[in-house]
Amino acid sequence: MKLLLPHRFKRLGAAMAPLGFLLWLLMQKGYINKLLAYCFGQPVPGDDRTWFQLVNIVAAILGFFALLTGLYFIAFSKEKVEDEMVQSTRLQSFQFAAFLQIIVMIAGFLFVLLAGDPGEGGIMLFFVALVLLFWVAFIGRFNYILHFKYR
Amino acid sequence: MTNTVKEERLKKGLTQVQLAELVGVSRQTIFSIEINKYVPSVVLSIKLAKAFGKKVEDVFKLEAND
Repeated sequence: MKLLLPHRFKRLGAAMAPLGFLLWLLMQKGYINKLLAYCFGQPVPGDDRTWFQLVNIVAAILGFFALLTGLYFIAFSKEKVEDEMVQSTRLQSFQFAAFLQIIVMIAGFLFVLLAGDPGEGGIMLFFVALVLLFWVAFIGRFNYILHFKYR
Repeated sequence: MTNTVKEERLKKGLTQVQLAELVGVSRQTIFSIEINKYVPSVVLSIKLAKAFGKKVEDVFKLEAND
């Protein structure tokens, strides 16, 4: 319980995580470039112009870390009433998320074995998705049990 | 394990929220105990029994497969 953040961090995390993900997604889809080109009246660069690339890198870092920090805030915030059932549910949700992550990891490796190497970018994306899967599964199950199943 | 938490709560005229506040847990915990989805700790069992003015073994009963 000493490692948990005050309850108010949950709302902050609930705002940060989707905004961070949206920023990262916009960067990935090239909308940051389009926005910069519109704002500064320049065409979208075909090559990696320094300042366009720099803004994209900053957006990617900010977005991704906002997503991770938001997920951390949601996952490690106290509930309004912290009791033994909440703590038990939290532990079970961690176990569930870890189990799910292992299953998906094994499935991923089997996929690579059968379908062939997806390349370095594909492997990296897979591992990033694996990390996010753990936290999303933990947060999803924990909140489902507390706020929907036992409402 | 089965329990008579709901019956005892209703006899006392308490809502789940009131009983939860009385024993220091969340309403969801009381709900999950009443539907036998959660087995409370010894401490919580004693607190609940005291709130009803009953013995622990009168509120919580072991089943054959426990």
